[in-house]
Amino acid sequence: MATITLPPELPRIDVHSLVKRYHRHPVLNQLSLTINSGDFCLLVGDNGAGKTTLLRILAGLVRPSQGAATLCGADALSNPLVRREIGYVGHQPMVYQDLSAYENLLHSARLYQLENSEERISQALQALGLAAQQHQPVRALSRGLLQRLSLARATLHQPSILLFDEPYTSLDQEAAGFLDRSLQNWHRPERIILLAAHRPQRLLSLASHVAWLKDGRIDAHIPVSALAGSPELNNYLREVT
Amino acid sequence: MKAIGAYLGVVWQILRKDIRVEWRGRQGLPVMLMFALMIVFLFNFALQLAPDVQAGLTSGLLWVSLAFASTLGLNRSISLERENNALDGLLLAPVDRSAIFFGKTLGNFCFTTLVGLLLLPVFSLFYGQNLIRAPLLLVMLLGLAAYTSLGTLLSALSIQARTRDVLLPVLLYPLALPILIAAVEASRGVLAEQPLAEMSSWIYLLLAGTLIFNAAGLLFFETILEE
Repeated sequence: MATITLPPELPRIDVHSLVKRYHRHPVLNQLSLTINSGDFCLLVGDNGAGKTTLLRILAGLVRPSQGAATLCGADALSNPLVRREIGYVGHQPMVYQDLSAYENLLHSARLYQLENSEERISQALQALGLAAQQHQPVRALSRGLLQRLSLARATLHQPSILLFDEPYTSLDQEAAGFLDRSLQNWHRPERIILLAAHRPQRLLSLASHVAWLKDGRIDAHIPVSALAGSPELNNYLREVT
Repeated sequence: MKAIGAYLGVVWQILRKDIRVEWRGRQGLPVMLMFALMIVFLFNFALQLAPDVQAGLTSGLLWVSLAFASTLGLNRSISLERENNALDGLLLAPVDRSAIFFGKTLGNFCFTTLVGLLLLPVFSLFYGQNLIRAPLLLVMLLGLAAYTSLGTLLSALSIQARTRDVLLPVLLYPLALPILIAAVEASRGVLAEQPLAEMSSWIYLLLAGTLIFNAAGLLFFETILEE
């Protein structure tokens, strides 16, 4: 077991000269990025730009070919305690089909060794509107409900860094509105939200920053309030809407 | 001590989850058992051997059934983690990732052992020998411990391959051959009522296999799963 102790500081993401190649093809190429506590950063870019790869490296699911990606001063791949600070929502819900929503969350709570796990699960299920379906097998849930379960799993341990990869995919209007409200609640000074979105227009009113991933690098990383001063990024955001 | 307790807690949690998923879905054990029973029946009716010849083949047939049934279980175990990318959920947890290996290995071992325990009376019935003997159980436990730890490691290796369902047996059977030979020889010795001392080299081989494959899992499981 790792013996590191995380400093009691606010979270921070530092990515320095990051390179990731798949079969010699560079997906990320000398990418550098810093995100501070309290930031809600939208990660935008075309399909295949490397958004998912970047998020998976940050979450400790993928090893970079070169460079460093640290969260709270350490990398998530080799430090289990850093992973404790991460809530990750990917393209798949990461749950077991034959278990119920409640059982999946209980399994997750036990892996994270959470205290008062039953109470936390109950609160999460209530907050995300899953209480009525909590004992149904996951295979019986709709895509929207699965996404809610995925959000509950990612936030159950109250992480300080939320990494969301296209969380609006397949959501209907009601579920998307629900996610908007949840993001508003989760956006706090002691937390980072990094959200990858292919069509980010609806989130511009919620986010504090936009990072544009282009050709394997961060082409622009600016506050949403400064978008008017970056016509190229502004045009891109209009085009993808 | 606290760290060891937490580590074992994670192993137990993975095992408990696998048992619960199997209990809910019932998709692994029944298939494994049916497959093993089919091998028992088919060989029994196809070979039609004299009782003394059949007695010599029993240990081999037992291990063929166990190895094939176990491979089905290993495929099921890893496909469970592939569905919905559940494996990522395990990898994201703030735990030493080798504990995931031991939890999965223990689950595979328990399911295959259960199939083995159910097979022994059937073999006894069809092959005219009493297979329910303590030394044979010991050999079975050791053989399956080695086989399932190697199988779990290789199923993790094959998880990202496009041909993963085919890849596992292709990798597993050649590498498990020394283990299967040792298990067959030790089982044959037990059924021939040889003293344990005469089978000690095979039993040591099974023990060494268990230790080596589990040590490999401890050291390399995390690296194997990395993209």
